[in-house]
Amino acid sequence: MQESDNVLRIFQEARVAMQKGDGSKLRSLSDQTINTASRTQDPDNVTTAVIVYALSKIVERRDYRKQKGWNVFYESLSRSIDKLIKAIEEKKDLLIKKNLEEMRRQIKTLSGDLKNYIEDVFRRSKVNKASRIYAHGISSEKTAKLLGITLWELQNYAGASITQEDPETRTITAKERINTLEEFFK
Amino acid sequence: MKTIIFDASTLISFAMNGLLSELRGLRAGFDGKFIITKAVKKEAIDRPITIKRFELQAMQLKALFLDKVLELPSSLNVDDKLIEEDAKEIMNSANQIFYGKNRNIEIIHLGESECVALAKILKDRGIPNLLAIDERTMRMLCEKPENLRELLERKLHTKITVKRSPRKILSGCKVIRSTELAYMAYKKGLITLKGNMVLDALLYAMKFKGCSISEGEIQEIKSLDIRASK
Repeated sequence: MQESDNVLRIFQEARVAMQKGDGSKLRSLSDQTINTASRTQDPDNVTTAVIVYALSKIVERRDYRKQKGWNVFYESLSRSIDKLIKAIEEKKDLLIKKNLEEMRRQIKTLSGDLKNYIEDVFRRSKVNKASRIYAHGISSEKTAKLLGITLWELQNYAGASITQEDPETRTITAKERINTLEEFFK
Repeated sequence: MKTIIFDASTLISFAMNGLLSELRGLRAGFDGKFIITKAVKKEAIDRPITIKRFELQAMQLKALFLDKVLELPSSLNVDDKLIEEDAKEIMNSANQIFYGKNRNIEIIHLGESECVALAKILKDRGIPNLLAIDERTMRMLCEKPENLRELLERKLHTKITVKRSPRKILSGCKVIRSTELAYMAYKKGLITLKGNMVLDALLYAMKFKGCSISEGEIQEIKSLDIRASK
């Protein structure tokens, strides 16, 4: 795992924010992992960004807490995060991966609306994080592969962002580009 | 024989905006070929056709492929293996251009590299070509890599240095986007909608489906239309 001290801090703070139901803090923590995730493309950093962002959405939707299976899911998710924090503290890389995988498995054991909701939250979290990594200058295909989403999902989401207004993105004038194309179509 | 090499991003912009018949119209009036590589076909057609959310648009793109509006490089006698080999080399080299915090910043993937590889092969064979790319990173890398370095540095809050010359790897590629193609379709009367806001709507539709174009550039394209119609 790259920059594990940072990931450890993120999960420690995320655990507290989770208990408080502080979605805003969780989103901010997720954003803090994006720099490292973009630069290193380390899968564990990417997964951390996705999980912490997903947690922000999970703690904010209080209506789902009445769903069957919620308590079991939430408790086992909390336990997994505790185990993950311990594994990072002890620098046990295999255990870190095992616990990250365990969190994904927990979602698969859910059923009904809750399962659909949590799966949707994680899918949207992946797309959101992908758009952030793309905004950092990594290509769309590279980013989509890193997050395991399609280019279609990423492009649809990223199109609505303000990424296109970054001043560096202007390379040649639109007139030059149109002229090139018009010449080509003659 | 001229060619326009389409990246998946441009095809996705056209498909998501329901403008594939306009793309078909552009091809009909073009004295050349619209080409997609195998990796682009996989990203734009083969994979999304298995996902319910994108199935219809992927099927519509597949219809363009079956009707030879979009063709594979083999239609130009370019071997897929040659493209794959060159693309890997381009990808590996491009992913060693920018360096920050003791590591290379990997910025592009194989499908994007295949488009550039094909462009270079065709150029070497004397076949004029344009790359149609809506995504930002590859376009910047081809046109103004120093801007990409600045963007990476600003976004990653890290000093970024250039370790390999981008010009040697990607020189000579000319890039257009779905917005310029949409403008061309508009000028050629391929857009059935009428009214003075049609071009504006087309350009913004492409932008909001992922074409890397700024507000300022949209205004620039619209001003070209105003000047042309005076």
